[in-house]
Amino acid sequence: MVVKELIEARWKAIICGLLALILVVVSAATYDLLKPALSNTSSQQMPQFLQQQVQQLTSSYNLYVWGNWFSKNGTEILAVLAAVLGAGLIAGEVSKGTIFLLLGKPISRERTLLTKYAVSALILLAVAMLSSMALLVTAAIAGHPQQIGGVVISTLLLCLGELFVLGLALLFSVLFKDVLRPLLCALIITILTAIPGFIPNWSAWSLTGYWSSQAAYLGQEFPTKALIICLVVAVLPLILALTLFRRQAY
Amino acid sequence: MSEKKSTSTAAVKKESLPAFEQTTAIEIHDLVVKYGSKRAVDGLTFKVPTGAIFGFLGPNGSGKTTTIKTLLGFRQPDGGSARVFGYDVASQSLQVRAHVGFVSETNSLYDFLTIPQLCAFCRSISLEWNQRVVDRYIGLFGLPAREKVGNLSKGMKSQLALSLALGSNPDLLILDEPTAGLDPLARHEFLNTLVSEVAAEGKTIFFSSHILSEVEAVSDWVAIIRKGKLVLCDELDHLKQTQKVVKLTYTELPPATEIEMLNSLPGVMSLAQEGRSVRLVAHGDVDALTQTIQARPYALRGVETVDLNLEDLFLEYMKEKNDGR
Repeated sequence: MVVKELIEARWKAIICGLLALILVVVSAATYDLLKPALSNTSSQQMPQFLQQQVQQLTSSYNLYVWGNWFSKNGTEILAVLAAVLGAGLIAGEVSKGTIFLLLGKPISRERTLLTKYAVSALILLAVAMLSSMALLVTAAIAGHPQQIGGVVISTLLLCLGELFVLGLALLFSVLFKDVLRPLLCALIITILTAIPGFIPNWSAWSLTGYWSSQAAYLGQEFPTKALIICLVVAVLPLILALTLFRRQAY
Repeated sequence: MSEKKSTSTAAVKKESLPAFEQTTAIEIHDLVVKYGSKRAVDGLTFKVPTGAIFGFLGPNGSGKTTTIKTLLGFRQPDGGSARVFGYDVASQSLQVRAHVGFVSETNSLYDFLTIPQLCAFCRSISLEWNQRVVDRYIGLFGLPAREKVGNLSKGMKSQLALSLALGSNPDLLILDEPTAGLDPLARHEFLNTLVSEVAAEGKTIFFSSHILSEVEAVSDWVAIIRKGKLVLCDELDHLKQTQKVVKLTYTELPPATEIEMLNSLPGVMSLAQEGRSVRLVAHGDVDALTQTIQARPYALRGVETVDLNLEDLFLEYMKEKNDGR
């Protein structure tokens, strides 16, 4: 069953993985080239709060890389991959009619769902780890070696955060019989959870804010709170999906 | 709930069947399955003997697929009960599926896998797997053994689905409209294999269909359902012996009172008059019925008793006036 899931997800994983690698390498390799341009832009027609953010992020290589990858591109591309993988897990089987082949066999629905979820989670983890390795290597080549501990903790947080998106997409995949609606629902809810991060004094309510801890990346603190929040929030939609799938009639 | 918690957390062990259950493969009692407020299956009761080739008939939307889905635990019953080899379909679904091979109406398989990959997948989610059996059937059907499933024709996919269903050595094979959409040649090959190979091994075959000729060709038992209710369940041979067409030809046009009287005779299911000819569909003791008719004071030129085929029977039982018999 694992092999079948891997074969089914291979193109999604390869495309998103390559895109992630390109983005992370570009982020890590272009700081020295882009810094002067970004500094000039920040002093021109931007709102003040954005100017401050750009100045902060371009003030050091580490912050630039964190801001580009863990806070933005990595979160986004992995969220898309998680939503694409999760949306098809059950709804894909239902829409193609293969759910009857699957459920007609003597294995429990829980095992079916958890196996599918685990394979998708492993794919996410693999893409995130490969990207982080590429970041470490590119940064070292560019002459800005990164702290391995910070990269590992940030990658872990990012993965936990993306498991929320995966669980969410899986939950809607159990509810709907087509792949598009779970995908859209998961992405819309993920975007909604990011909105408080753009509102002054509301950043503590932004879920995506916990997926990318700047202090953890810079090695200033261990993100215990963020880890707990990401873990709990990742597990909740999975439990709901399991409960619903157990009861769902086909 | 699809399965009780006690049986749903892990795969079950395939146990050998208890002696009692070796006579009854499926036992359905007063089964009710609803879609919202609509009763798709409405008080269905019948048994499928072990070793039978059981044709499950009914028009589209009569509840055949819903019954099958309930037997396999895809849906939960809203009333009544159903047992497969003694295992309750609601609470022991895993045990039921351990003894059942299923081919769905859609014959949907994973198109992106090759046949060996699909076999490996099925093996990974089955309690028991005999690849030699699968290879034998793949060879028997002449399927390209290493081909990608997506490249197979619809007929080939049906044959592959049957081969895979047999890989887990099931005691009962449930087939939902297995030949739907197949051309006559592919249908013939499929059914021929079903009877000559699968049934010969002593497996019970429960299959739904609305192609009456194929059911008649292979089944030894039939059940007909309509609007979720059982209309008929009997051995096909017994059915043919007890259900006949009686053709009466009168020397003069029979009066309306005589026609009404004929229609009210016990055993007469339906009557059609065309001039001096009257066609009765009768069940039960047909000889006694013809003797009663011949004793009537209206001159008969001829009385002919003809066997009913399954299609005639089916149409007869589908008539609105016979609802609830």
